[in-house]
Amino acid sequence: MSKSRDRLARVFAGVTLLALGLTACSTPPAADHTGATATGPVEGGELVFGDIELQTDFQTQRGFNYTQTNIFRSVLDRLTDTDPDTGEVVPWIASEWDINPDNTEFVFTIRSGVTFSDGTPLDAAAVKANLDLLGQGEDDKGIVPNRDFIGYESSEVDGDKVIVRLSAPNRDFLRATAGSTASLVSLSTLELDYEGQADIAQIVGSGPFVFESEVPDELVSFVRRDDYAWPSSLSTNQGAAYLERIVFRGIPEVGLRVGAVTSGQVDVARGVQPSDEDAAAAAGLTVDAVETPDLTANWIAFRGDAPIVDDPAVRHALQIGWDREGLKSTVLSDSYELSGSVLNRTAPGFVDLSEQIEYDPEEAARLLDEAGWVEGADGIRAKDGQRLAISVAASPRSVVIRPAVEYLESQWRALGVDVTNNAGDSAILTTALGDPEYAAIGSRQFYLGGLGPLFSGAGNTNTYYDDAELNELFAQQRAATDEEQWNDTVAQIQQRLVVDTGLVLPLWDEAQVHAIGPDVHLSFDGGSAPLLQEAWVSE
Amino acid sequence: MTATATSIASPASSQRKKTTARVIWYVAGRIGQAILVLWLTYTIVFVAIQLLPSDPITIFLSTDAPADPELVERLRSHYGYDLPWYEQYVRQLANLARGELGFSISTGQPVLVRIGEVVGSTLLLATTALVFGVLFSVAVAAGAYLVRASRLNALIVAIPSVLAAVPVFWLGIIVLIVFSFQLQILPLFPDGSLISLLIPAAVLAIPVSAPLMQVLLTSVRESGTLPFVQTARAKGLSPRRVFVHHVLRASLAPAVAVLGIVIGALVAGSVITETVFSRPGLGNVLLKGVIAQDVPLVQGLVILTTLVVVLTALVIDLLLPALDPRMLRGGDLTGVGRLGS
Repeated sequence: MSKSRDRLARVFAGVTLLALGLTACSTPPAADHTGATATGPVEGGELVFGDIELQTDFQTQRGFNYTQTNIFRSVLDRLTDTDPDTGEVVPWIASEWDINPDNTEFVFTIRSGVTFSDGTPLDAAAVKANLDLLGQGEDDKGIVPNRDFIGYESSEVDGDKVIVRLSAPNRDFLRATAGSTASLVSLSTLELDYEGQADIAQIVGSGPFVFESEVPDELVSFVRRDDYAWPSSLSTNQGAAYLERIVFRGIPEVGLRVGAVTSGQVDVARGVQPSDEDAAAAAGLTVDAVETPDLTANWIAFRGDAPIVDDPAVRHALQIGWDREGLKSTVLSDSYELSGSVLNRTAPGFVDLSEQIEYDPEEAARLLDEAGWVEGADGIRAKDGQRLAISVAASPRSVVIRPAVEYLESQWRALGVDVTNNAGDSAILTTALGDPEYAAIGSRQFYLGGLGPLFSGAGNTNTYYDDAELNELFAQQRAATDEEQWNDTVAQIQQRLVVDTGLVLPLWDEAQVHAIGPDVHLSFDGGSAPLLQEAWVSE
Repeated sequence: MTATATSIASPASSQRKKTTARVIWYVAGRIGQAILVLWLTYTIVFVAIQLLPSDPITIFLSTDAPADPELVERLRSHYGYDLPWYEQYVRQLANLARGELGFSISTGQPVLVRIGEVVGSTLLLATTALVFGVLFSVAVAAGAYLVRASRLNALIVAIPSVLAAVPVFWLGIIVLIVFSFQLQILPLFPDGSLISLLIPAAVLAIPVSAPLMQVLLTSVRESGTLPFVQTARAKGLSPRRVFVHHVLRASLAPAVAVLGIVIGALVAGSVITETVFSRPGLGNVLLKGVIAQDVPLVQGLVILTTLVVVLTALVIDLLLPALDPRMLRGGDLTGVGRLGS
């Protein structure tokens, strides 16, 4: 009785507060920070992960969004894994592998004793069936080949080994097997049509958690698989997960993510905006900016044949015509590092090109003057009657891209460039991605199959530019016989993309900022997916 | 036997039959119009999609990864987007007539299944919001009619404009910060509790009630001057009684007539309310469909929403004469807004 009266009183209090409109800016009460003394992992419990949205399509080939990879990591296993610190490929379901000198034949040894949650074995035959679907796609189901499986021809089972044959050298095929899109599913799952394979309730995997329930657009939950014993070789827990149950929820409204953690309604939230980081830390949460060597850095790609930016002088001037440090101090936070290349600092093969794209307004202006772009009465440069005006589109999923382009807009205007900021508008992004004439798009992408699938040929939706030298370098990268050669080629690719052609303008290293509750012990993989198999929650 | 019975029908029954025939013609006509509106909606959506710079498959694939031309070709033929436009038009229209809305590109599910998953949640939210909206509106109309203090009255009359101007998105976030994070009485994620329905519904009721209030206020003001109201007042009835039994009743028809618009506002409002309150529902699916550029899904939702609006309008047209018998007098079944004339 008194409880309901109390509730009523609180509702009235709420209405009063609301009417006064006082609350928008006030900070939420600090969470009860008990500061758990770590004595080791605690068994049991539940972890609720608040993602930026909930996915509905779980067909593994389409698993290139964070919202899918975050779930796949706990439900499906892969042949290999990448070390988030070094980017190195390490064993998972494949205990070892052998690559021929030509990079055309890969022999994977499949770990024994691995089973799917329906009891069927995850053996060499199951791996072959998965690789075939990944490499060849399935026309009549509308399932397309995995874009990172370049040159995939066939697989053959030999005891506990799977021999993969490629039609052309591709050293990066090994890394591609560590990708979320290359997650392994049971034979019964492969037999399903597209709709079935996209349905998380029907997917049978061999991962540490098994599907429990789904409430469309509300949550997906999974429970621990007690006999799980084949995690990635990197996992600190080589047995079953500590957590009993994991739940994924979507918090589409960016401003509510930190509050969701401080009020204890989720344990972790992804996609915290820079302006909320201090409040999260003040409330006793851990603000973890997770680096992602499996993805490229954030960049703006210019369409090489689009009007205005088809002039290399314009591209180079835009690259050096803005104060990079200012971006970090005004838009980003300490969670972000300015990037020195198209790749993240933590990625294998990264070369630091930041000195060559350093802020130099005089040089930028000189480049434009020299190319004939003369400042008009409105302060905007023009050449042969054409104004130096460009548009930039980018995905709405990033919490910082729109303000970042706003910053660029102000910087470039001082240079005499008119910018239309379409970042964060998904409708315009759609048009822009399909339109080679649209000047520039901002993005960051998984690239486990190398930069080739992202930037080669005239049809790539990032630059729409067919650069013979780049194509040749991509082929060289795939054919590299040793690490040194590979690193060398990857360095040349970065040099070509960023410095020589100016097609890519590096922004900041990709990082996914998470707010983590005080009782949660959690780390992440190279694509920023939570490692829930080794996570635990203290009492 | 039957034939005889028919042939000796009385003049009264033949008059009744004539009326019945008129009503049937009227209803058939309205249904025909409804189908025409649906067909036009389908056609406009189809044309809009044709006018897009690329087809739904390229659009969908290109949002998150570089598109491989071969892959685009395969999916295009899988979903039938490789056919000439007229074939696509006829094929999709035939499917629509059979009640098939095609497949969502982003989930692979049939569009109807995807919608069916969440339609219940939206219906519950929208119905509750509608009830709130009607209650708010009647309360404001009553206040405006009954409160004589001019300043207070001016304040009440200004409410609809204020409500129309409040951004639901902002209000929803403030409500969540207060009730969910600070007072912790409202779960951020709906848990089936009454409060997790009532608060979002109250927020959704804000934009919905604004047009209702505006119409109701105007018609209450107009009805208040009608002779039968003055008669009622002259008889010495209390203002409250006059309002409830005479003014409100006479003012309902125009308010009901704007329900069609209100249903539209409910759909638009549900996109925002469901997103902010993390509620599953049509609005949420529509937003996701737009973000994922899932053309068949958005197309299906637009057509279904049109269907709902058209059906609501149809039902309202059929109900209005019952609410306000004055409409029948002129034999004009479709006319609204004849009050005070």
